[in-house]
Amino acid sequence: MSKLLVVDDEANIRLLYSEELADEGYEVVTAANIAEATEKLQLSSFDLAVLDIKLKNESGIELLQQLVKERHDMPVILCSAFSCYKDDFSAWLADGYVVKSGDLTELKHEIARVLAKKAQKLKAGL
Amino acid sequence: MDWECCWDRDVIVMGDCPNIHEGDEDLLTSKRRRILEKCSECENFKRDLVRFSDSSHPLAPVFYLVHSEYQRQKTQIQSLVSFLDNKTLEIRFMHELGFVLQSSVDLEEVLSVALTAITAGKGFGMNRAFLLLADREAGLLKGYLAIGPRNLEEASHTWNEILGNDMDLKTLALNFRQNKLSAERAKFHDILEQLTVPLSSHEHITIKALDSKHPMLIEDAFHHPDVNPNFAALLGVDTFLLMPLISRNRRVGLIIADNCITHRRITDEDMHSLETFSFPVAFAMERASLYDKLQIELNRVTEAGKKLKEQQELIVRMENMALVGRITSSIAHSVRNPLMIIGGFARSMLKNTPSSDPKRDFIESIVAETHQLEGVLDEILNYSDSLYPTRDFWDVGQLVESALRDTAEVLMTRGYASGYSSENDLPAVYIDFKQLSYCLRTILQSDINGMGDDRTIAVRSYRDGEAVVIRIEDRSRSVSQAELDHILVPFSETRDLGAGLGLALCKTMLDKQGIPFEALAFPETGIVYTIKLPTHKEEQ
Repeated sequence: MSKLLVVDDEANIRLLYSEELADEGYEVVTAANIAEATEKLQLSSFDLAVLDIKLKNESGIELLQQLVKERHDMPVILCSAFSCYKDDFSAWLADGYVVKSGDLTELKHEIARVLAKKAQKLKAGL
Repeated sequence: MDWECCWDRDVIVMGDCPNIHEGDEDLLTSKRRRILEKCSECENFKRDLVRFSDSSHPLAPVFYLVHSEYQRQKTQIQSLVSFLDNKTLEIRFMHELGFVLQSSVDLEEVLSVALTAITAGKGFGMNRAFLLLADREAGLLKGYLAIGPRNLEEASHTWNEILGNDMDLKTLALNFRQNKLSAERAKFHDILEQLTVPLSSHEHITIKALDSKHPMLIEDAFHHPDVNPNFAALLGVDTFLLMPLISRNRRVGLIIADNCITHRRITDEDMHSLETFSFPVAFAMERASLYDKLQIELNRVTEAGKKLKEQQELIVRMENMALVGRITSSIAHSVRNPLMIIGGFARSMLKNTPSSDPKRDFIESIVAETHQLEGVLDEILNYSDSLYPTRDFWDVGQLVESALRDTAEVLMTRGYASGYSSENDLPAVYIDFKQLSYCLRTILQSDINGMGDDRTIAVRSYRDGEAVVIRIEDRSRSVSQAELDHILVPFSETRDLGAGLGLALCKTMLDKQGIPFEALAFPETGIVYTIKLPTHKEEQ
């Protein structure tokens, strides 16, 4: 079972992700901010992280940069209310980008795609 | 005693006096005037005077003395009158010159007046004049302009022409400026070029004259110790005048004048007159030159003012845009998240609600409405995003390939195939990458209904003059030109928000970047989109 870290400042969104992604068979751990995410990352390892970009007074992009540097083997999907970040350089570090929607199909597809790619890489020994 | 002269007769007839000619008829009957104006110079009268002196009359020596003194004073008066006449002419000329010079701030006009004044018969009557200007920045005394004939034939022609048209100085100068200035400059181009001397060459005769700030008359130039023989050979005359032009103690330039055709002697009087003339000329030249500089600065200031105004307007626009950005950002966060939560949980509930449950319809309505609202939100956010493009130079291949990559999955799901071909070595294009990327994705994923079996989209990029064209041939979709034009109008009457603002938004974005966008519908073969991307900033 793949273990996902979901970082979002909205409690209801964290709940929605937890429910929906758990239904898809993932183990979901949530965090409301960077500090909480960092703490959880220290306690456990994750197969993938889903990050919101706007985290109250923080930026998910900062966390993304930190993860790319420290956890380069863990893919990250950015999930944001803003479609404009999709073409932003800073967002290009992420393995996937999904615009927030009540329909989580795209997010679920993206998670599956990125995990499959990661598995392929591991298989290939890269 | 019989007198030889007619001084003792009250009335004479023509022929009695050898000094009275046609036009002097008044003197025939005016004895007094005849004696005063003609007799004192008359040889007959002089002989009568000798005879009178020999007559031993006591008044004879006195009369002889008075007559001699009268003659001397008359000559002196005539000389003074002649001198005063000359001075009057000179003052009139200087007055006219001063008036013309003072009324002009155009350097070319001032120079035309100056050179015309030196060479005009009504002016100083020199045959030829060269004007050299001090270029302080380049450190050179540069040959700038010349006037005068190069040979006798040309001189005769020019002087006859001037004599034939009785023109004042201003008209002469205007005529020179309008009709002859360029030709004269070209005529003396070779000499003017060679006359150029560094201002630091203090041994050169021209710089010496300039440094001394006083006119120099050079005679026997070919053997003059201070004159370089090449310089004398260049001018081709052995006598010339060097007239420095000094204004406010600053070296403005130098005039070289000579009488290369007539070889008339240049007198001290010529020098003094020219020196007097040189002050207002130098002053007018400096003033015109300063005026030119002032005009340039004024233009710069005007241009800067214009730019400043544009910048101010831009700042206001950007502030407005920033405000729009902040508002949309706020909307994005404030609206999208609740929408997502409502829609997300509604979907979750729907999954676990049996089809027989009467509440399922309500939940389905919530899902559909939130989906619709999310569509509206996307369009509003994309539209506001289009208001402030951020342009830079980008690779077209990268742009098209990333758009094709992003849309590949959707196109595949819909049963479309896409292909891309490009000319080699295309230049970078100056665009807002994000917006162009959005446009390409939108065109590729257009919601216009597909048709037929040939569901292919061919993308090609190629150079067209200074631009790079992206041509997208969508052979799978059918629409009339009128409908397509309608689709390209944002928020048009028949299209509701959330019903697909995409192509209209693309057009708006491209219009705002000044990028030509064309969508042509061919009912039988599909739609062809062409986007002409600039390769230079100026084309924006």
